[in-house]
Amino acid sequence: MDDFISLERIVKVYPPNVLAVDNVSVGFHKGEIHSIVGENGAGKSTLMKLLYGLVPFDSGTVKINGAAVHFRKPGDAIAMGIGMVHQEIELISQYTVWENVVLGAEPVRGLGGTLDTKRAIELVRRKIDEFQFNLDPSAQVERISVAARQKVEILKLLYRNVSVLILDEPTAVLTPQEIPQLFAELKRLRDKGTTILFISHRLDEVLELSDRITVMRKGKKIATVAASETDKEALAQMMVGRQVIFTSKRTPHQRGERVFEAKGLSVTRRDGLKLLDNVSFSVHAGEIVGIAGVEGNGQFELVNSVMGLAAPSSGSLTVNGTEIIKLPILERRKLISFVPQDRGKMGASLPASILDNAIMTHHRLEPRFSAWRGLVLNYRNARAFTDTLAQRFSVQMASRQSPFRSLSGGNQQKLILGRELLLSTPFFLMDQPTRGLDVGSIEYVHGEILSMRGADRAVLVISADLEELFLIADRILVMHRGQIVADLAAEQTTIEEVGRYMLEGKRTA
Amino acid sequence: MTRRILSGVLGVVIAFVVGAIIMLLEGYEPLATYGALAQFSLGGIGPLTTTLKNSVPLVLTGLSAAIAFASGPVNLGQPGQLVFGALAATLGGLYISLPPVLEIPLLLLLAIAGGALWSGLAGLLKQAFGMSEFIVTLMLNMIADFFTAWAIAYPFMDRKAFSPMTPPIAQSGWMPDIGPLNASVLIMLVSVVVMWFVFQRWRAGYEWRITGQNSLFARLGGCDVRGNFMAVMLVTGALAGLAGGLVVMGGPHRFLKGLGANYAWDGIMIAIMANNGLVETLIYGVFVAAIQTGALGMELITNVPSEIAQVLQAVLVLVIVATREYASVVFDRLAARRQARERAT
Repeated sequence: MDDFISLERIVKVYPPNVLAVDNVSVGFHKGEIHSIVGENGAGKSTLMKLLYGLVPFDSGTVKINGAAVHFRKPGDAIAMGIGMVHQEIELISQYTVWENVVLGAEPVRGLGGTLDTKRAIELVRRKIDEFQFNLDPSAQVERISVAARQKVEILKLLYRNVSVLILDEPTAVLTPQEIPQLFAELKRLRDKGTTILFISHRLDEVLELSDRITVMRKGKKIATVAASETDKEALAQMMVGRQVIFTSKRTPHQRGERVFEAKGLSVTRRDGLKLLDNVSFSVHAGEIVGIAGVEGNGQFELVNSVMGLAAPSSGSLTVNGTEIIKLPILERRKLISFVPQDRGKMGASLPASILDNAIMTHHRLEPRFSAWRGLVLNYRNARAFTDTLAQRFSVQMASRQSPFRSLSGGNQQKLILGRELLLSTPFFLMDQPTRGLDVGSIEYVHGEILSMRGADRAVLVISADLEELFLIADRILVMHRGQIVADLAAEQTTIEEVGRYMLEGKRTA
Repeated sequence: MTRRILSGVLGVVIAFVVGAIIMLLEGYEPLATYGALAQFSLGGIGPLTTTLKNSVPLVLTGLSAAIAFASGPVNLGQPGQLVFGALAATLGGLYISLPPVLEIPLLLLLAIAGGALWSGLAGLLKQAFGMSEFIVTLMLNMIADFFTAWAIAYPFMDRKAFSPMTPPIAQSGWMPDIGPLNASVLIMLVSVVVMWFVFQRWRAGYEWRITGQNSLFARLGGCDVRGNFMAVMLVTGALAGLAGGLVVMGGPHRFLKGLGANYAWDGIMIAIMANNGLVETLIYGVFVAAIQTGALGMELITNVPSEIAQVLQAVLVLVIVATREYASVVFDRLAARRQARERAT
């Protein structure tokens, strides 16, 4: 079969020196589902964005039906029938479905060009019926589910008669139950002749959905294979460049004394809405407790209450029997290590040097970093500490004085993790500890978390990634609308059961 | 580092070219004008020491703004803090007379206290009522301006003078000349060194810097964010106050009407040119002082009005800031293109 779209020898360097796409040539057939897989930073999103005209590339050619094209902006690509749905959904939530779909390409009538509402709704309805999307064109977008919003995004492009759909990690925002439905719809689209380019790093999904798969690693194309002729292990090996173990290395471990306890913790918003509703649980030494849940169900408030960023309305929090609710942050930090979900906002100062980031909190708690009675920092010890930290947690850095920003995501997380681990606290709070990391770094972080359990520290991991929780957690708590609706032993539950609790909360049986 | 120097030098050169074009359009000789500017600011011991002395209030208020901006608090109250420092030193010098070894340190301390009092007030209002220091310091500038104008026109006026001013301070409080150089220059240099040490080596300076870059990270890391805010307000107010004290003690030896007119705003501008770097603030402060000093002499021998120096100064700020931002974009893009070309072959 001839390639419908072909990318030839594409090179893209993000200034100053990030080689995002390294001489990649790949072709896509008409009417196939073609997945692009790779770790974070492998260049898959960039490759698609430059096909879509969103990012300019430095050299190479894009051909459609054998003719070279040059898109300067996404509008050019859409005019040629290529559309892209981004990871973040970008709709106007106050508008209805049909208004969002026609926005920018509205059917009009008369000289003044008034919006032909009736025809617009009819056109949108016809598209919905054609692709069996099961959407109500008059529903307001803020009232429909995330999965439905994603369908609206796709519909927007179909309405513009796009024949090539690029989807950038569309399943990242969906719950496990919503994914099969999306896949069924995508397959139906393909059968009607639409070409679908699907970016993902979830191998199970990719294998289930695609006809062909292109694997990228560090900006290079590794291979393009037929989905029927490969398997998860082979793909993972191509993606990472070595063998990856998918099973947990968690070994049985006797849990010890209770370390962390939340009792009746509530956070009530001014309008009376309970963001955290009477939450009680405990974490023992040598135990990893995972908190699962769709984001925005109280995890943020829980973290803020524990770390002292916002006071809860009522309840108590203790670490080793010490009530911490009234303690200033510095006092809490003697008991709690914390890895936040957003490295650049809470976990580090990006423009500061690696050294400045490495000694945070240590600079107050450990006398070896102080001289002149705490007035001056002991930079000699700080330098030695930074080197030890970097070595122990294998942080690849140019120099201690380089800005933190210059580190890769994985190395940034290793440094933060190491800094917090070396605080030697009894309780460890981790909020999305592997978000945005590549497979290698994720493995590393999981290994460190498990060895903390081995060292009898109490670990609380909040994660939106269920597979991650099943790999490391002993117990999984599910948060739903500010409540803990389930407390399940990891061995005795399944991803499906946890997913159901995430979506439906406590079953009203 | 080399990149930073390169873009700084490039910015200055471009600014001078733009300034030359403006002069040509106005019908002046740019080369002769620049020559006169350089001659009267840098050409010999006399002009050089005058430039350095004139740079004192610019560098100190610039230092104040740079430390504040780099640490988070938007202290724009340098003009008010400067006149309060100047007033405090003047009053000390009017009513207390000690030998110079005691008088000078005392007046300097009074100046520091006067500036810190005025910035501390803004700090307290923020801590107590959450009032933004950005607007409060600006408003306090007005109050300081009118308060000092009243003070030198009524209670502390020199009856023999024709315009509002205080009588001269005790002669033991005058900043002496060491050879050709006024001692206020030494105080300025010591301040820069001390502040550099505080900012780069003290624990407090570490927390100030991190808080300025990412206050949530600093707070979560256990830094005393509230205490640091107050400390930065006090220290930066003290620096502006010191500038005011040195202006009085090194210059007219009394508080004249309009004494603080532009120093502090120029200082804030210098901090912006210096991208809040302390050493850069010293360099740009002396540089701006040279232009201002040279302009006065230039007016004497050319028919170019000294206002052209203000035009030049404005162009400098714009071009230096723009060049710094744009140069890094251009450097990055060039590096990217080079790499892309290598990969494509």
